Amino acid sequence: MKILPMLLLLCPALVSATEFCPDARPTDAWGVSYQLSGDKQGTLLLLRQQAQTAFYNPQNQIAEWWRFDNPKHPQFSRVFGEAKRRIDYYAGDLRTLGVRVSQAEIESFTSEHLRQVLTKVPQSSCTTAEAYEGEYQQVHYQLLWSTTLGLPLVLETEVGGKVSRWQAQQLLTNDTVKQQLQQWQRYQRTDFADVGDNDQDPFLAKMINQGFVEHSEHAAYDSHGHPLGNHGH
Amino acid sequence: MKLKAIVLAMMTLSALTLAGCGSDGEKGATGATGATGADGSNGQDGTDGRDYTAANEWFMAGQDAVTKASGNSISDSAGKAKNIILFVGDGMGISTLTAARIYQGQQQGKSGEENRLSFETFPYSGLVKTYSANQQTPDSAPTMTAIVTGVKTKDGIISVSDAAVRDQCSTSTGHEVMTALELAEIAGMSTGIISTARLTHATPAATYAHSVERNWEADSDMPQAALDAGCKDIASQLIDFPYGDGPEVAMGGGRTYFMPNTETDPEYGRAGRRNDGRDLTTEWTSKYSDGAYVWNRAQFMSVDTNSVKHLLGLFENSHMQYEADRVNGDGAGEPSLAEMTSRALDMLKQNDSGYFLMVEGGRIDHAHHAGNAARALEDTVALSDAVRVAIEKADKDTLILVTADHSHVFTIAGYPVRGNPILGLVRGVDASGAAATTYSTDSNGMPYTTLGYANGPGFGFGSAAVNTDSNRPDLNLYAVTDVDYRQEATVPLGSETHAGEDVAVYAKGPGAQLVTGSVEQNMLFHVMNYAANLVGRAEAAQN
Repeated sequence: MKILPMLLLLCPALVSATEFCPDARPTDAWGVSYQLSGDKQGTLLLLRQQAQTAFYNPQNQIAEWWRFDNPKHPQFSRVFGEAKRRIDYYAGDLRTLGVRVSQAEIESFTSEHLRQVLTKVPQSSCTTAEAYEGEYQQVHYQLLWSTTLGLPLVLETEVGGKVSRWQAQQLLTNDTVKQQLQQWQRYQRTDFADVGDNDQDPFLAKMINQGFVEHSEHAAYDSHGHPLGNHGH
Repeated sequence: MKLKAIVLAMMTLSALTLAGCGSDGEKGATGATGATGADGSNGQDGTDGRDYTAANEWFMAGQDAVTKASGNSISDSAGKAKNIILFVGDGMGISTLTAARIYQGQQQGKSGEENRLSFETFPYSGLVKTYSANQQTPDSAPTMTAIVTGVKTKDGIISVSDAAVRDQCSTSTGHEVMTALELAEIAGMSTGIISTARLTHATPAATYAHSVERNWEADSDMPQAALDAGCKDIASQLIDFPYGDGPEVAMGGGRTYFMPNTETDPEYGRAGRRNDGRDLTTEWTSKYSDGAYVWNRAQFMSVDTNSVKHLLGLFENSHMQYEADRVNGDGAGEPSLAEMTSRALDMLKQNDSGYFLMVEGGRIDHAHHAGNAARALEDTVALSDAVRVAIEKADKDTLILVTADHSHVFTIAGYPVRGNPILGLVRGVDASGAAATTYSTDSNGMPYTTLGYANGPGFGFGSAAVNTDSNRPDLNLYAVTDVDYRQEATVPLGSETHAGEDVAVYAKGPGAQLVTGSVEQNMLFHVMNYAANLVGRAEAAQN
């Protein structure tokens, strides 16, 4: 009984997200622009075209690009727009890095499991969305889930007092998404397995020295509630 | 009586050691005769315990090994080897061999340390210096060039001498160096190239291609200036191979490097990498009327090795799967390294003029770069299995060499009790020498694994919260023996690096006695050339 007033207090924050409330899912290529606020700032673009999903940070021009043409062999690329370079990861590479991949989790930005462990709460402004809230593995979540897009309209996390909020802003057009993916297709590519043999390549040497697969840019979560992209020791 | 024998052996050793202390190149003066020693008392079997040599398994095994080795007085003449099989474990340093030996033994339910990889039974072995013409720690391009051409070159360069400059096409002209595989083809021998990496990767490429840049695997990888200057991409050089009747066997990964960008990969649906429109897989079957092209295990198993004389197998669009993932991790199915070796030998043995076969375990290197020891060890064991097939199938007139191109910064450390899981946390021994009841710990009280890397992506495990208290993760919380576990690294790098120390070489068959001591890597070509008289046979075939 005590929890009800608290949920009601949370509702205004979720309701404000319903300014963007798509009632139909676009076909072919499409995307969603998210505004990041709180502990992480900036813009994040989610791009979708058939079995492809990409998370693109236009500020640093870095993208994480997944392809599930063969679901048993998900292919992942980390794209570096400024250098016009791409690092391709094959299934074996992902396994060596301890990255376990779920197509559904990648495509929906967050895991179905997360929605199952959170509590569904009422919200009214967007009739094609469901609101969730709760604590999971020391992270407090607020989630507004678009049932038409199969994506969060709002995802807010709080860990140790640090709040990060992803809020959907607008849909991206077919042409925008296709052009972006085609551009990345033309970039010079290197297999992740070959990076270590190429320390004389200035770009790859920088990657070797700095590392480039450790931290997820998009903060999608796996079925255990861990950010995707973390290596699994 | 046997105790006296041991003393005698120790005195002999001592004398040899002292002799070695003389000034370089000079024999030291004979010393004064020592006093006559007292005769030791004779031990009584089973009574006073001093006659332990008859019962001690270590003593007996060592004695037996020396007895067998003392029979080795082979001095093969040049050209005595009809065939050559060269195995290369990419990145298979000595620590990798030791760990893989223990890993395989423990997989068989044994302690592990006593196990021997197939090639560790070979009668001859030595150490190989791997530095390249311009780097202390090399990459696979100059090291494999040294092994198959007899000359060292610069890093990144494939079967072109060090007179050339990496990535500068014009500098290659006139500096291409003949490879053992090319000589074998000219001599009328059959030849084969097998790798679990891309066939266009540096190690297999060095057997058939010449390039001042190892990354020029397809034409789309090359700068326009290099194409205009007439340099050829590596994949096309396999198909356009100009010597003899071309390689009889070429199997590995790298399918998209042979496909035009207008075609999509049959397994993944992605476009090929060739901009020149050439489909090198169809060119293979067009060029060789008795040829076949396969891209999955079912096709591979159905090849009739009696009728197919030129077999191209490309089982992945890039590198083949790791052995640990091969069976369950690949939808289309891939043959193992042992299966490829077996079928290749079935084909190559049909030539009465002999054969040259190179087999690479190409993914040991990649797993190490990723800091993932389990997969590196699995692939090393897979190479050992392939060598075992060769031992069984090759005739006695075959020289078999097993070596590595370079090492990795991979360590086996701590003082684990014998039989401790090689991938596990270190559990030492107690004061009585028996297994300790708890794990060994560092100065922070944290456990650590036996295997680790001097550098690489395993540093600190990223942003894991457990890293903050001790500057090391609490490995009690991790499944350290899991195949996906990534070992800790001392220096943080996105990719673990090669190492510069010597690697091992093992030899069996005619000419194997030449493999001994510490040698330069390019000497291995000369061993093969001496044993099989490659140059002589090639010259004779041209007359």
